[in-house]
Amino acid sequence: MTKKGSDTIIERFRSITENPQEYAKSLQGKGHLLAGYMCTHVPEEILYAAGIVPVRILSSHVSQAMTRSYIHETYCSFSHDCAYQGLAHHYDFLDLIVTSSSCIHMGEAFNVWVRFAGFQGKSFLIPYPHIIETKPAATFMVESFGEFKRFLETFVKKSITEDDLERAIKVYNHTRRLLKRLWEILKRENPPITGPEVATVTLASQMMDKQECNSLIEQLIQRLEAQPGKGPSGVRLMVTGGACDDLGMFDLIEHLNDNASLIFIDSCTATRYFWFEVPEGRPDKLQAIAEGYISRIPCPAKDNVPGTGEKKRFRFIQQFIEEFKPDGVVFLYQRFCSPQPMDVVALKPTLDKLGIPSTELELDTTLPITQFRTQLEALVEIIKGVTP
Amino acid sequence: MSEHEYTSMNEQLDWKKAKAIVAGVDIGAVSSKAVILLDGQPYAVSHVTMRTPKESAFKAINAALAKTDLTLEKIQYIVGTGRGRTQVPFARKTITEIACGAAGAVHIWGPSVRTVLDAGGQSCKVIHCTEKGRVTAFLWNDKCAAGIGRSMEAFADLVKKDVTEIGGIALQSDKFPKLSDFCTVYAQSEALDLIRSKVPLEEVIVGYHYAMAKRISTLVGRAGMKKDFVIIGGLTKNPGIINYLESNLKVSRLAPKPEWDPALIVALGAALFADKWRAL
Amino acid sequence: MNNGKILAGLDAGHVNSKAIIMRGQEILGYGNVPTGFDVVAGAETALKNALENAGVARGELAGIVATGIFRDMIKVPPLNVRRTVPDYVADAKGALFLNKNSRTVIDIGGNIHKAVHYDQNGNLLDVIQNDKCADGLGIFYTTMAKTLGVSEQELSELALQSTKHVSVAIHCAASAESEAIDLMCQGVDIADVTDAISRFIAERVAAMCTTMPLEKEIVVAGGLAKSKALMKHLPGLLKQDVSVLNLPEYVGAVGAAMSYEGGK
Repeated sequence: MTKKGSDTIIERFRSITENPQEYAKSLQGKGHLLAGYMCTHVPEEILYAAGIVPVRILSSHVSQAMTRSYIHETYCSFSHDCAYQGLAHHYDFLDLIVTSSSCIHMGEAFNVWVRFAGFQGKSFLIPYPHIIETKPAATFMVESFGEFKRFLETFVKKSITEDDLERAIKVYNHTRRLLKRLWEILKRENPPITGPEVATVTLASQMMDKQECNSLIEQLIQRLEAQPGKGPSGVRLMVTGGACDDLGMFDLIEHLNDNASLIFIDSCTATRYFWFEVPEGRPDKLQAIAEGYISRIPCPAKDNVPGTGEKKRFRFIQQFIEEFKPDGVVFLYQRFCSPQPMDVVALKPTLDKLGIPSTELELDTTLPITQFRTQLEALVEIIKGVTP
Repeated sequence: MSEHEYTSMNEQLDWKKAKAIVAGVDIGAVSSKAVILLDGQPYAVSHVTMRTPKESAFKAINAALAKTDLTLEKIQYIVGTGRGRTQVPFARKTITEIACGAAGAVHIWGPSVRTVLDAGGQSCKVIHCTEKGRVTAFLWNDKCAAGIGRSMEAFADLVKKDVTEIGGIALQSDKFPKLSDFCTVYAQSEALDLIRSKVPLEEVIVGYHYAMAKRISTLVGRAGMKKDFVIIGGLTKNPGIINYLESNLKVSRLAPKPEWDPALIVALGAALFADKWRAL
Repeated sequence: MNNGKILAGLDAGHVNSKAIIMRGQEILGYGNVPTGFDVVAGAETALKNALENAGVARGELAGIVATGIFRDMIKVPPLNVRRTVPDYVADAKGALFLNKNSRTVIDIGGNIHKAVHYDQNGNLLDVIQNDKCADGLGIFYTTMAKTLGVSEQELSELALQSTKHVSVAIHCAASAESEAIDLMCQGVDIADVTDAISRFIAERVAAMCTTMPLEKEIVVAGGLAKSKALMKHLPGLLKQDVSVLNLPEYVGAVGAAMSYEGGK
């Protein structure tokens, strides 16, 4: 009974990822205001404190070329897909769209919505520093978040109190802790849940009302605790890279010739989304939010430790390797993304030194399944030392 | 059989006297190959083209068997490889063309091989292996370098020559225009533009080969080069590509073995795995 | 203005060379050959075939007008081209001749595709051409047919039998081809793969047309216009009706012949 229970909850999360507009409209039906966001650098807590539910805009996976008149061909498919959904009026029902200045590709997708998809006057771009590991960055962010807060107060015609912000921080931190617990289950040799299933829950959480999301994850964890493992882990594979909301990709990793398990995903659509906390109980809430977001695992577009050339993200990756013990690493990033493959060049020598084999897969709207399967199976063959 | 298809067999061997009868089939979308081994020796091979991978698989194995009186049922172990390997109903096990490429290369050229470039129609892979043919690392081409091989054939069609011919022409000149060495679509369009601007066709052909070879050598450079270096796959039949590849890499490949069609080496690797697993 | 004179229009394209023989408003014959190695020889052969097809002797020709990407290269003897006109000028005149109600022609060629907007007299109003990443759609179609071991006609027929919607990468012909191969290796039905190929081409052509308003009637020219599978998808993506011109690959050649007197 309990096993069926956890599968039902996972199904619910999966269904939300497959019908995001339907779910979002149901929230509106309950009287919520909705803000679409295109990048996880948006401080969602401030929206939530204003009574607005942030829902992430993710891929529709429709192969189309109309966006080439708006954005250059050599921008990533993810940005083209997001732009397309605006032009195709998939999200006309949103009350607001928000993004933080991050990478050019997503910035242009946002501009398409504002200029051509009817979101002029229903949009806000949050200036966000690129070189985050500096003193001026925090001050900049607090000011920027302050402007955003004032904009929202005008938008919802209500002031956002310190209590509202603290409540939102606590709800969001709760989500983060729950998701962390789920991922940590994958450290086990024979977990009651699979990597793709955890990825599904994480993806859905980005488009959900966090209070509802928290309640569901709590139920899920409860049921999982009473459940047996789904089977031995086999070869342990870790994914690291950029935004990937194609759950089929993760299913593929676990349906190879040989038994392999997806045990961790370092991406902004997975663990980078939530692997941090905003300090609670602070007098200056915006300062606390800025501090929290500064402490995130950086996106490669914003990973520059001044004076050292060091990549802060790599410290996290090494930590995850120590804790989750992957046998191999899969670099997964959008074709035409610039920052991601640059990180790969810097990261690979570290993996080579640790003796961890890796392979690179380039994401696109459509996936070359037989090619990816071959690369993944070849990686497993290396790990297993297959010899003629 | 169409012009690029063939089969051959070794009439000196008798399957009825063999202890181990195994086969490897390499199923691509464009062509498929089969290699049948008797006690580790090549007995029959085939190289066929067919519309779908499943039809291709049957055509390949049946073509190899055609000149013998050996039947499919008598083959003790068949391993499938290539991108269409999940579509081979008669394969007992499958293994990637990466592992097979290394296995076949070391078998043919010996234990000094460390870097194998598999330059095919649709993809290029750089494979690093040990003296035993165990793969230690590999690099698959990025999407922008997909189909270099196919583009050579498309380009040959455009200038109404055979692929082997344009490869030879590419050796005939030191003077050539620079073409995009990043993107095959741009390179082809630029080539057409150059012909329009009255640049001699021979020079354009050389330039195209140089650009494609440079693209491949970038891939090899990224993967890292360790000697001995060998090249397998269809592009080995294009002397222009090989020439510019070697000069860009500043490394010579080991000489090709005349008794082995480079396009068959992956299928051979699969057959070698079949031989090993049959005995387990 | 060309009454009575027998004229030839030559369209020396990237992939194919087309020739048409006309007398006034009458089309007497035509020929189409691969351009190949020697551009002049290609044009010569096309002309020769067209003359044979028309039953007209070389000496009866009053003159030759050339268009197409290689038009300047074929001005030499023995062709003795009287005049050259740019492709889009020829396309406008040719399309208008073949369909008096047309005001926009979408010409899908071997390497380049373009859309031309013209008035009731065939005067040029606007023109747009594909961006570089979308080069080579015609070449791609031919290559895919060869790869799949079918004729171009069969490719279209197979695509029309598709029952399942799959997609290939949309960035460019190289990535589309790479994924079409992958789909075949996955065991996807060839009908569905050929449909995806046709849809890819239609998507790229339609995408080009996004930035230029298309005035009715919209007609389609070029070799690929003969692909029923492609024409199945194009109207939906353009959100407009289109019709295929008669002799679609000869539009440029017709327009060239009609430009003999210059001006009209």
